[in-house]
Amino acid sequence: MSRRRVLLGLAAAAAVSLVPRRSRAAHRIRPPGALPPGAFEKTCIGCFRCAEVCPPKCIDFASVLSADSGTPTLDLRAKACTLCMRCTQVCPTDALRPVAAEPGAVAAQVRMGTPQLDRKRCLPWNGEGACSLCFQVCPYPDRAVELVGLNAGPLFHPEACVGCGLCEEACPSLARAIHIEPLP
Amino acid sequence: MSRRGELARQHLQPLDVALRHHRTYTWLRRSVLAASLLLTVGMPMWHLRARDAESAGQAVRTGFGGARALGLPGSAPDVVGGPGAVELFGLELVDPLPIAAVAVSAGPRWSLLWLAAPALVLVLLLGRFFCGWVCPYVPLLAVSNGLRWWLTKLGVPLLDVRLPRRSGLVVLTSVLVASALLGLQVAPLVYPPSVIGREAFRAVFYGGLGAGSLLVALAFGFDTFVSRAGFCRSVCPGGALYALLGTLSPVTVKLDRPKCTGCTVCDVVCNLGQSPMNGRIDEGCERCGKCVASCPTDALKLGLTLKGRA
Repeated sequence: MSRRRVLLGLAAAAAVSLVPRRSRAAHRIRPPGALPPGAFEKTCIGCFRCAEVCPPKCIDFASVLSADSGTPTLDLRAKACTLCMRCTQVCPTDALRPVAAEPGAVAAQVRMGTPQLDRKRCLPWNGEGACSLCFQVCPYPDRAVELVGLNAGPLFHPEACVGCGLCEEACPSLARAIHIEPLP
Repeated sequence: MSRRGELARQHLQPLDVALRHHRTYTWLRRSVLAASLLLTVGMPMWHLRARDAESAGQAVRTGFGGARALGLPGSAPDVVGGPGAVELFGLELVDPLPIAAVAVSAGPRWSLLWLAAPALVLVLLLGRFFCGWVCPYVPLLAVSNGLRWWLTKLGVPLLDVRLPRRSGLVVLTSVLVASALLGLQVAPLVYPPSVIGREAFRAVFYGGLGAGSLLVALAFGFDTFVSRAGFCRSVCPGGALYALLGTLSPVTVKLDRPKCTGCTVCDVVCNLGQSPMNGRIDEGCERCGKCVASCPTDALKLGLTLKGRA
């Protein structure tokens, strides 16, 4: 009987150590079409279908012991989303709601994060050089980002940005001025 | 039968058993298991190959390079997901456990029921069959059992703790309650088929194992050193749920008492602590049919019982 208690205690301890703080799980970039933070974690069953069909292979699962290891996350700096919307079509529980692979529908329904520009590091803004890579890779140029001022520095419009991270991925390594902030 | 004939029979027994395996559907079960493993490891490879073919010329993130060498065609078939949640050419076969957890934590929806329906029908008919026929943990369990056998031969003392079967239900309830309280899905973190599927996928796509492997290793260690098939028998929340849902399953092992010689082989081969020899088989049976295949006198059969339990 005591051995059984010990085993059950060990199992309980293992279970508790797997249980995470919620705050950590909430602030992550999720695949496009994801339910809002909170609802997404409740609905995703960790089946990895979204990651399996992702052409740029930007969807991954945390490899460390955490509550996130069962849900898909994106590291946009390493690999950005190309907005093909295939992941939204295969989700069994609609944790990712289906979105048509069409620029208008994507602009209306996808919000993966909010762009943040550090002007001190951005080459046109700090005067260290000319660069417009973010503008060139943006799927919604002149809407999500436009070039302004004498040096043609980027100005982001978060309300029109889907948060795909192509700009963050393209931002040259000596600058790394752009960061897509996860939804609160 | 003459004594000579009896001796001959004894010598022939390994062959006899092999033939018997042929006769029963052991090979069918192995084929299904092989298909499940192929799905677990092979489909990610195929999808990876398809991604690489699509993005030819672009920089590709590290991954398993063998998919190309295997000669898989550049476009994957309409099969996505692992054995826990697969879409097979449009047919959704999704584990009822995570669906139940989603219904508990995010609120029930009709669409969830439709999603789980095909798998639910199978579970209602066949009970815990998933555990013996599909679960990607089964090969590991076979290795664990083999290891137990060798360690015992070598004289290493091994525990065989029998946790009460109810403890599976306790784990199941805890998983559901924790999912609801924490606002996140716990089953994908602790449920071996889900963990193994995801780990296999990550290993193929990104070339590395994550913390989920730790859980599988723990389950393996538990099964090997503490309790034979103890995780499957009395910890796994999925097994507990299927046993519960399959209580009225009409497919059961039936004993033909006059043929039984009381040799106990069927009781010994059973992973889940059933006792076919005494006709004591409950909803914990995984319908793997190993007892049927191992019976030297063909006293056991898998059959239909309308009462629910034999």
